[in-house]
Amino acid sequence: MTDEPSGRNLDGDAPVAESVAETEEATITEGAELERTIGLTGGLAIGIGTMIGAGIFVFPGLAGGEIGTAATASFAVGGLIALLVALPTSELATAMPRSGGGYYFISRGLGTLVGTVIGLSLWLGLVFATAFYLVGLGYYALDALAQVGVTVGAGSGAIVSVIAVVAGVAFTVLNVTGTENAAKLQNGIVALLLSMLAAFLGFGLLEAFGVVAVETPPGEAESVWEAVPILSVAALVFTSYLGFAQVATVAGEMKDPGRNLPLAMVGSVVIVTVLYVLTIFVATNIFTRDALLSAGETAMVEVGRALLGPTGALVIIVGGLLATMSSANASILSTSRAIYGVSKDALLPRWASRINLRYGTPHVALGMAGGPVVVLAATGQVQLLAEVASFLHLIMYGLMCVALVAIRRDRPEWYDPDFVVPGGPVIPVVGALASFGLIAFMDRLSIAVGVVVIAVTAGWYFYYARDVTLKGAL
Amino acid sequence: MTRVLVPVAVLEGETVSPGLMSLLGTVDVTVLGYHVLPEQTPPDQARLQFEDRATAALEDLSQEFRAAGGDADHRLVFTRDRKQTVRRVTDEVGADAFAVSRPTGDVDRILVSLSGDVDVDRILSFVEDVVGDRDIGVTLFLAAGADLSGGPGDAGGVSDTTAGRLEAAAGRLRDAGIDAVTERAADGSAFDALIDAVPGHDAVVMGERAPSFRSLVFGDESGRVAAASVGPVLVVRNRREVDADGANGAE
Repeated sequence: MTDEPSGRNLDGDAPVAESVAETEEATITEGAELERTIGLTGGLAIGIGTMIGAGIFVFPGLAGGEIGTAATASFAVGGLIALLVALPTSELATAMPRSGGGYYFISRGLGTLVGTVIGLSLWLGLVFATAFYLVGLGYYALDALAQVGVTVGAGSGAIVSVIAVVAGVAFTVLNVTGTENAAKLQNGIVALLLSMLAAFLGFGLLEAFGVVAVETPPGEAESVWEAVPILSVAALVFTSYLGFAQVATVAGEMKDPGRNLPLAMVGSVVIVTVLYVLTIFVATNIFTRDALLSAGETAMVEVGRALLGPTGALVIIVGGLLATMSSANASILSTSRAIYGVSKDALLPRWASRINLRYGTPHVALGMAGGPVVVLAATGQVQLLAEVASFLHLIMYGLMCVALVAIRRDRPEWYDPDFVVPGGPVIPVVGALASFGLIAFMDRLSIAVGVVVIAVTAGWYFYYARDVTLKGAL
Repeated sequence: MTRVLVPVAVLEGETVSPGLMSLLGTVDVTVLGYHVLPEQTPPDQARLQFEDRATAALEDLSQEFRAAGGDADHRLVFTRDRKQTVRRVTDEVGADAFAVSRPTGDVDRILVSLSGDVDVDRILSFVEDVVGDRDIGVTLFLAAGADLSGGPGDAGGVSDTTAGRLEAAAGRLRDAGIDAVTERAADGSAFDALIDAVPGHDAVVMGERAPSFRSLVFGDESGRVAAASVGPVLVVRNRREVDADGANGAE
């Protein structure tokens, strides 16, 4: 087994290979250094900021509408699976603190074919996820319009699509041309959202345990406490847990990665799981199944109204707008990094990672992220987008667990993780089984779309990058 | 040998003025080529595309520094945080000072600020090394109300007063063959007084201060001095920080 990637793609480019040394503060290559500038707070903000938009503000209505309070169990299952994957991911990330995240680990652990499929599926999975966040944003924007008195009667679905498309174009353009540092803004937004949620959930819990009482609308429908519906809702809402792997895509930029990467990944999963379960509990405690179902994507606005009146509704609308925006923006950034990781290894043409001189931004990669996002966002299909995103991510998560087992077995010389998952192969094996198992509970159509995406990416490998070897390289 | 770190935004076409280059001709120099990236751009991606160009520019710069007198090497860093990078590399190369590069012509007289809680002894020996036996005058400046603690006045025993200590500092430089005069501001804020004293000087030397609320709000003092005085600034690092990293920064 060699330490360097080798081979050439259809354009005659070889993977970029160099020897690098990692310190806590910088990555040192032969001729240059890459400063590590993201701390633990920044890492947590990326993870939480990406995840919180979907789980709190879009899914409670859909999930609670399906099975009522039992949806708390769905979110708990999702959180557990995310945690089972976050631990192996942490070990891999501390051994290979490079940008590219899951793609990087899998291509090194399992070879080029699987690597290409996952690298390209990660790109497309993030594209589906971003489109999903944008459609969620569209629903909140529609509610915000209604709040200020602009009501849209018929064709509200079309309005949502239009808003999602406009927002998608705007985010892409802003990311290509903007050199303002949005990371600090992101930290602020996450802090604001967390404090809003803490107040909201605190009040909701007081209500739930009868300390304060609000008028809850009557309803007949019972919660559905059965395994299959709970798991199928878990498969739907798993999109709420995609963010922790985004932390791995900036692994090369984290300060003291051996400590901060595991803390940021595991920490963000634990924090959002608790928040999700509490939110669903509060929401389903106030509204019954049918009421949530009719309120749809923005059911949380009604929950806020029931708890705290018009102020509550307003707080949730503002929170929903901020959260879905921050999720969409963070995902576009991760997408562009995913494309870079693949292009560096010669699995996509080299021009895909070009940086323009005027703004210093990777305009091609951002365009390859934003373009398909806009197309998908135009469909306005919340559930389908969410499930395909989850499908493509779950495949990657399962394979990351497999890659960990494979790399531990092969033990390349450079493999020396700072963080080791305890319990030998138990956690990665369970994590892989759980990730693949959850896919079985998805909608048929979502699985079909996901399988097509994977088939196309595999076809791309045989067409373009058959001769590239990445397995075991650093 | 005294070493100065000279950060240069190398891919934005920033260069080092001939005046600063010849001023630093008596000391060793590390040219820190840096490129600040927007958060959309992975540092590694920028490196792949720009490394060759940046390295070529840095090699030219260090060659010019060598031609000016001292030894010179270079480092190239892609970063999102300029300040963090400058601090880290200053520590790693064991530099005694870092420069804020601004244009200047031939340097005839430098302004040395001793205001605030700075290591006067270190600043003075740095100034001695930089000036060497050249014909460059030094004005030692102290803001109103500032006390000169731990200066050479203690050793000289001339006087316990602040004015006496300032005079003793000037005396130390004169002993080293440097044309040194002193200047004390009458009143006003330390920063404004320093800027008012700049005319007639071609560069400013000052000590490093601990980050304060002021520096968080208004930015680094050295950067503000450089902007307001329209000339290069040399910031002498505090001793303990350099010592703490002396072990791994010495090579």
